Amino acid sequence: MNNPGPTLSDFGHDPLWITIIKAVAIFVFLMLGVLFGVWTERKLISRMQHRYGPNRAGKFGLLQSVADGLKMGLKEDIMPRTVDKVIYLLAPVIIAVPAFLAFSVVPFGPMVWMFGHRTPLQLTDLPVAVLLVLATASIGVYGIVLAGWGSRSPYAVLGGLRSAAQVVSYEIAMGLSFVAVFLNAGTLSTSEIVAKQAGGGTWDILGLHIPTPSWYVFSLIPSFLIYAVCMLGETNRVPFDLPEGEGELVGGFHTEYSSSLKFAMFMLAEYVNVFTVSAMAITLFFGGWRAPWPISLWDGANTGWWPLLWFFAKLVIAFGFFVWVRASLPRVRYDQLMAFGWKVLIPLNLVWILLAATFKALRLPETDRMGIMAFGAVVIIVAFVVWLRFDTVNQRRREARAAQVEEEFEQLREEPAAGGFPVPALDLPHYHGAVPAARVPTDAKEVTSGSN
Amino acid sequence: MNGTIEAPTIEYALLAPMLVVFGAAIVGVLVEAFAPRYLRSAIHLPLTLLSLAGAFALAVWQALKGVPTKPAAMGAVAVDGPALFIWGTILVLAFVSVLLIKDEEHFVGSAAALPGSAEEEQSLVERAAHTEVYPLLLFAVGGMLLFPAANDLLVAFVALEVMSLPLYLLCGLARRRRLLSQEAAVKYFLLGAFSSAFFLYGTALLYGYAGSVDLAKINLALGSVGGQDTLLYIGAAMLGVGLLFKIGAAPFQAWKPDVYQGSPTPITALMASGTLVAAFGALLRVFWVGLGGLDWDWRPVFYGVAILTMVVGAILAITQTDIKRMLAYSSIAHGGFLLVGVIATGSAAQNTAALSGLLFYLVAYGFTTVGAFAVVTMVRDAGGEAWHLSRWAGLGKRSPLLAGTFAFFLLAFAGIPLTSGFFGKYAVFQAAVSGGALPLVIVGVVASAVAAFFYVRVIVLMFFSDPAADGPSVVLPSRGTAAVVGIAALATVVLGVFPQPLLDLAHSAAQSLFVR
Amino acid sequence: MELYVPILVLAVLAAGFAVFSVGIAPFTGPKRWNRAKLDAYECGIEPTPQPVGGGRFPLKYMITAMLFIVFDIEIIFLYPWAVAFDRLGVFGLVEMVLFIVTVLVAYAYVWRRRGLDWD
Repeated sequence: MNNPGPTLSDFGHDPLWITIIKAVAIFVFLMLGVLFGVWTERKLISRMQHRYGPNRAGKFGLLQSVADGLKMGLKEDIMPRTVDKVIYLLAPVIIAVPAFLAFSVVPFGPMVWMFGHRTPLQLTDLPVAVLLVLATASIGVYGIVLAGWGSRSPYAVLGGLRSAAQVVSYEIAMGLSFVAVFLNAGTLSTSEIVAKQAGGGTWDILGLHIPTPSWYVFSLIPSFLIYAVCMLGETNRVPFDLPEGEGELVGGFHTEYSSSLKFAMFMLAEYVNVFTVSAMAITLFFGGWRAPWPISLWDGANTGWWPLLWFFAKLVIAFGFFVWVRASLPRVRYDQLMAFGWKVLIPLNLVWILLAATFKALRLPETDRMGIMAFGAVVIIVAFVVWLRFDTVNQRRREARAAQVEEEFEQLREEPAAGGFPVPALDLPHYHGAVPAARVPTDAKEVTSGSN
Repeated sequence: MNGTIEAPTIEYALLAPMLVVFGAAIVGVLVEAFAPRYLRSAIHLPLTLLSLAGAFALAVWQALKGVPTKPAAMGAVAVDGPALFIWGTILVLAFVSVLLIKDEEHFVGSAAALPGSAEEEQSLVERAAHTEVYPLLLFAVGGMLLFPAANDLLVAFVALEVMSLPLYLLCGLARRRRLLSQEAAVKYFLLGAFSSAFFLYGTALLYGYAGSVDLAKINLALGSVGGQDTLLYIGAAMLGVGLLFKIGAAPFQAWKPDVYQGSPTPITALMASGTLVAAFGALLRVFWVGLGGLDWDWRPVFYGVAILTMVVGAILAITQTDIKRMLAYSSIAHGGFLLVGVIATGSAAQNTAALSGLLFYLVAYGFTTVGAFAVVTMVRDAGGEAWHLSRWAGLGKRSPLLAGTFAFFLLAFAGIPLTSGFFGKYAVFQAAVSGGALPLVIVGVVASAVAAFFYVRVIVLMFFSDPAADGPSVVLPSRGTAAVVGIAALATVVLGVFPQPLLDLAHSAAQSLFVR
Repeated sequence: MELYVPILVLAVLAAGFAVFSVGIAPFTGPKRWNRAKLDAYECGIEPTPQPVGGGRFPLKYMITAMLFIVFDIEIIFLYPWAVAFDRLGVFGLVEMVLFIVTVLVAYAYVWRRRGLDWD
């Protein structure tokens, strides 16, 4: 097949100056990415909402983010009197640095010649590379918590706690959704995971050799779907942008970082995190820098500097997905968010991991297939029985809860002042409640809300 | 890939007693999750008792079938003569403690409610109950089974945690005197976590020294690895700290009175018996098997610790005015007496004598202490159990049977002949004398005499002083509590009058010593 | 070790940038002192006094944190297992099923005791 790309043994041979060049390149790429990412997002979302979006600064408003950045730098730097100064100043740094670090293990391309050196288009790779990404994500949570904690204001503290709880919850589902990939790739090294997606096997059925697609997104679609949800939760993006739910928490954990470059750090970290999770999605599920199918028929597609283009295109599409979601979905409620993460994503994930492992075990050479199937059947039946009981109980509890709410509602309908709250009657005309017929003027015309 | 990884062989039959207990604990959690509230207690109690009895039967069956000469589960767990004997002891003591727990008056309805708050009131009205007590207890017992059988330091650490964590929780569940109970739980947790950290750090250092966490391999390395003595000594000392803490040996005894006092009394009984047995088993295994070649170095330390423990336990007990604290200090002093036996090593025959003496002592002391705490649960006044010694004045006149039984237990603690405590002390001290630790035995005898003073003082108080007008009432014992007191008294008498069968059993269990 | 040097280089770069930005912020902007501006923002009302060190927060978050640790450790067990699955074979599968079932027992308990509910 075509060039499988670098493996772990190709790393660690760069001279220091090549390393520095690569690191600076990644840094610049991310900074520019954020500047133009913000512009892209605003432009795209405006178009989706039948607006023009920024179009004053530069051609097509391209320089809008640059102008915003400059403006932030020139704003007054407000530090509220009550904050815990050390933590308050440290938090933006703690949140920004790990965001960049995750990109050091993202594979951008295969081996290339760079100033007379043969080197992979990737800063470095580790035997535990994906773990590094998860670790940096976890350290980022410290930034959020400390920002809220150090601000010492109720909104910030609550926002920080909420955000931390949300991020760690979705981190679990995210971490679990990687397991199936490792199961199939047999490694945690990002470059090798990309290499494993170089070519699919063939599926022999009825004497036909049907080539199976090589990207894990096809073979491990449940993992990817879970990951796609988790990456929204993990980066605090719509529809999971509870931490900064303006309606309830003002700015969430960065309420007190009102302007200036400190706020810019949070903004930067958020967008870099979006790029990171997108890059991980591409690396783990979409073949990394490998060209998509029609292009991959061309022999040179996966050699030289071309893959950089494919990677970039995939990144833009992934980012577009984020924007699309933002334009389409409303924000979820916090209890729904946590319930979804803990009660849906995690059990689904575990079940899927075991299924994937069972399929994998069935394909291993020299295994007792009947034994595995019998074992699997037993596990599934037992799990199903337990689930039935569990679900019945939960259902019963939900019904009890609904009945209680209903009863409370009935009680309030009977006597609106029950519980001691002075409330207006439920049948006031502007509540669109049932208006006693006697009080409706004969020539009245109902004016529905929302009409002019 | 570089070849398949061999699946480890695990002797499930050997580990069956432990697996039964852990399995029942997990089933207990499922019961908590799925059974309706009114059924839980009714399911838990038979489940817990049956699993403990079943595990005991399996341990006996194993012992009858012949004791294996090799560690099980790839060298991680050693199911040998002493381990089986200790398992049997722990299982019986746990069974007895469960009978005591059955009386749910001891446990709080809603542990998370602030003491004195409206939520607590409500939990009382709703008759809420933490039936989690049973699975927690089973997990703790499972840890106690694994701890003395762990043949490798990491397994020992896991066992230590599995044993301790449920106990930390159980300590905080007393129904009365909530604040004291919570304080006990937090103290036990903090100090216990600290000592676990010592144990873990010691494990790491010994691993650095020997390149293995396996006890036998560490012992092997004692002769061959040179030049890293610092690692070895600090590591061994830290392991010692972790283990001595669980025993409650001085100078790591500070937690014991507070925790014993604050915990629900049935849990105190379990800790005073089961945990002590398990911790001594583990101490013996680690120091005899893992650091056996180092005994010239640790012996003087244990010498000092044993003397200090006996003296601190016996003298501080005199000053106590609270019955549970007094029993706690008595437990510390008994830990000191047991430590005397740990030092009495030497030839194989000498080791066997010391080990069998210790095993006998643990059984005798375990039963007596469970019985004593069972009596404590029955003496109550308006605020719950009456702990202050002055409240016990004249108890002998109001309920002679109970006071008599308690007096008998106290005499057994003191080691008066015709009680089990006498033969326990005799066996251990005799082994120590023949092991050349005569000064230690003299200290032990003096400490016993001091201890006898405060035991007798309580007896005098109960029988020869006038009862207070508003003195505590002795509640009619539930069947479980009555059974516990009966069993404990019977064991104390039988082992005191007719100790030979158990001595023989302990001897034959100790015959093969610990497997390596 | 060489594998980690590049990460360090990038970390120095990023940390330098972040510290520079946070450090220079007070000097680039104007300074107009205003008492109300330096209060913590609470939509215009007088700021609630916050106890030093943060004070109490809902226990719910701590339960979430503890559950997170439990499941994070589960993940840490799953990763090496997944990587070495080919070599572990059926034995690995059975062991992992048992492990996950055991964790799920605790999970079911937490679920039923409303440890996963927010209200």
